[in-house]
Amino acid sequence: MSVTSDKRAPGVRISDLSVVYRTGAGELPAVRGVDLELEPGTITGVVGESGSGKSTLALSMLNAVQPPGRIRSGSVEIDGLGDVVTLGGDDLRKTRGRHVGYVFQAAQNSLNPLKTVGKQLLDLGRSHDVDDLPGLVKEARSLLDRMGLDGARVLDSYQHELSGGMRQRVGIMLALVLNAHVVVLDEPTTALDMITQATILRIIREVHEERGLTTLVITHDLGVVAEIADRLAVMYGGRLVEQGPTREVLGAPKHPYTQGLLQAIPRLVGDIDEARALPGRPPTLGTIPPDGCVFRERCAVRMDVCETGEPPVLTIGPRVVACHTAAGDGEQKETVTTGPTRGEEQA
Amino acid sequence: MITGKGITKTFRQRGGMLGAREVPALRGVDFSIEKGGAVSFIGESGCGKTTLGRILAGLESYDSGEIVIDGVPMSSLRPKQRQPHFRRVQLIHQDPYSALNPARTIHQTLDAPLTLRAKQTGRSRSWIDERAEELLGLVGLDPGYVLPRYPHQLSGGMRQRVVIARALTVDPDMLVADEATSMIDVSLRLGILGLLKDLRDRLGVSVLFITHDVATARYIGLDGELYVIYRGQVVERGPVETVISDPVHPYTQSLLSAIPVLHGLEVPGAERVVPTEAIDAAQPDAGCLFAARCPFRTERCTSELPVLGHDGGTLQEHACFHPQRRSVVATPAVAS
Ligand SMILES: Nc1ncnc2c1ncn2[C@@H]1O[C@H](COP(=O)(O)OP(=O)(O)OP(=O)(O)O)[C@@H](O)[C@H]1O
Ligand SMILES: Nc1ncnc2c1ncn2[C@@H]1O[C@H](COP(=O)(O)OP(=O)(O)OP(=O)(O)O)[C@@H](O)[C@H]1O
Ligand code: SF4
Ligand code: SF4
Ligand SMILES: [Mg+2]
Ligand SMILES: [Mg+2]
Repeated sequence: MSVTSDKRAPGVRISDLSVVYRTGAGELPAVRGVDLELEPGTITGVVGESGSGKSTLALSMLNAVQPPGRIRSGSVEIDGLGDVVTLGGDDLRKTRGRHVGYVFQAAQNSLNPLKTVGKQLLDLGRSHDVDDLPGLVKEARSLLDRMGLDGARVLDSYQHELSGGMRQRVGIMLALVLNAHVVVLDEPTTALDMITQATILRIIREVHEERGLTTLVITHDLGVVAEIADRLAVMYGGRLVEQGPTREVLGAPKHPYTQGLLQAIPRLVGDIDEARALPGRPPTLGTIPPDGCVFRERCAVRMDVCETGEPPVLTIGPRVVACHTAAGDGEQKETVTTGPTRGEEQA
Repeated sequence: MITGKGITKTFRQRGGMLGAREVPALRGVDFSIEKGGAVSFIGESGCGKTTLGRILAGLESYDSGEIVIDGVPMSSLRPKQRQPHFRRVQLIHQDPYSALNPARTIHQTLDAPLTLRAKQTGRSRSWIDERAEELLGLVGLDPGYVLPRYPHQLSGGMRQRVVIARALTVDPDMLVADEATSMIDVSLRLGILGLLKDLRDRLGVSVLFITHDVATARYIGLDGELYVIYRGQVVERGPVETVISDPVHPYTQSLLSAIPVLHGLEVPGAERVVPTEAIDAAQPDAGCLFAARCPFRTERCTSELPVLGHDGGTLQEHACFHPQRRSVVATPAVAS
């Protein structure tokens, strides 16, 4: 699809990223050994169910994981910025918003109820030492107009005067207004109805292309990534279990979880008996098995080796899959790499 | 069986910069649900779905119209006398965060209504605990894990299932499931839908299913009916498969067109309809409510109000002057 050749779009490489949260049972990993590359100018969608670690991954892109969480290991390299994980203090504060724009989950409710959107915009500008505040307001207005809103009116509004869909667009505006070229959107359309969602997804795609962005969209809804993402990464229990070009993954999923998930989606047409819920339930921090495959308890094709052996991470052309079954698949051996030494993590 | 005729409801908001404001939430809605039947409401945010659900559960008043529960018109009763009828309709709230008391364990949450139920039916203390475990098992939860916990210790999906279990404690005739599966993980969603279908088949519970996710409506039973609501009015209604596969109203077509396509697995419908964006709250009284956004409107549409019917010989009812079949729904990609 449309990979923008815009030079401004930076690439992002997340390598062997692990993030833990301190709990009563010690530090438990919410994200474990994640390798993910965002190619310049593409939209990558990360999909996973509740608690799979999506928001934690998104926060790591900004080195914004808050205690009791911390990034235990790994790096997030952004072209022109370096490893975000090693940034701190002022450098980090300036990076957020200016270089990496973000809309956190529940952005619908994250605006300050006591200030107009315009006031909050000025606060944002000041905290980033923007000299030309009128220019910033102008930029904000044109972004809002661009997204089908009356920019001037929205800037004069308080949160409660805006609908959910309008607030989501305000969030996207705030993520873009400082001219960031890496943008992280965590659940940008959750709680919106279908027509509004379709509108917002179209806007995200258009703005992404116009501005030459590198975009990461986090969602629990496969339909959302199917609609806008060039590449799709599937998360389960803190691991990336499969990634690849969206259409290829959806058309021929290789990981048993992706297969099960697709089969579990209620569909508009076809035999309803073909759809099937996955047995069992998604793991929580405390129930993620420390070794072996995270998905094995719900996997219909698990083998003995899955109990203890970390699934090998196989790169098959543009696709990556972490499963013992894929290892035996003869036709798919272009490059085979085993994951980094994850066995050494002391969980 | 529960029927409603011409239900209207207007909210009056006080204050605000523009002074008092009237929000018409329901503009004369008719419906009918058989014992063990299934009716699904779909429509955009704010179209009145929850309001109608709350009215049926006796939690909200209505301005005019009549609700008849098993042959008893509610207008013939005093408000107090209506309560037992409405209590047979249990609402499963769309927000599982606020639906459960945060200061009570799940055990306490289920114990209270079950104790009452045990009294009513002359059952013993041990029945209460057995029933609590049985109900949690029914909704796919592990009683040992869930019972001692507080709501905040459970995931959204688990909480939603607790809410369903609690609704079942009173052996209701009808469940109003308001976005009951939207908080539930996709891998488990079909399980809850299957549960609702099961409750219909085995216990004869009727289900009023309110959802943004049209596809889920098929999974509580293909024998069900689908109502498409736009701004407080039913604009299309009929058998669930007919309305999904063969919609004739431009608004229904817009809703179905907006559903994300699983590219790679599906091919988008060839005639997807995108409504124009203007959603002006102050709709003129004359004409079709959807006219301002409808790509197919004609002059007639802005002067005359279309009413629900089978014009054009359609199987389903619709409220449109120009009903036309369009293929808007994605179809499975042919396997390569
Ligand atoms: N502050 C915290 N303290 C302890 N555990 C946490 C904290 N924040 C997140 N977790 C845990 O880390 C795991 C991953 O959480 P995360 O919010 O990243 O998931 P998610 O995929 O974004 O889920 P959702 O779809 O519900 O937003 C979960 O098990 C969660 O309970
Ligand atoms: N208590 C209230 N006071 C004033 N207006 C209300 C009240 N409850 C609902 N409304 C208004 O009535 C209309 C219908 O609301 P309702 O909650 O029934 O919509 P809905 O279809 O359930 O929407 P959603 O999909 O967002 O849940 C909306 O315009 C809403 O703002
Ligand atoms: S590694 Fe084993 S348990 Fe895990 S998904 Fe593959 S086959 Fe199933
Ligand atoms: S009556 Fe006219 S405006 Fe209304 S939906 Fe039909 S074609 Fe569109
Ligand atoms: Mg999240
Ligand atoms: Mg509602």
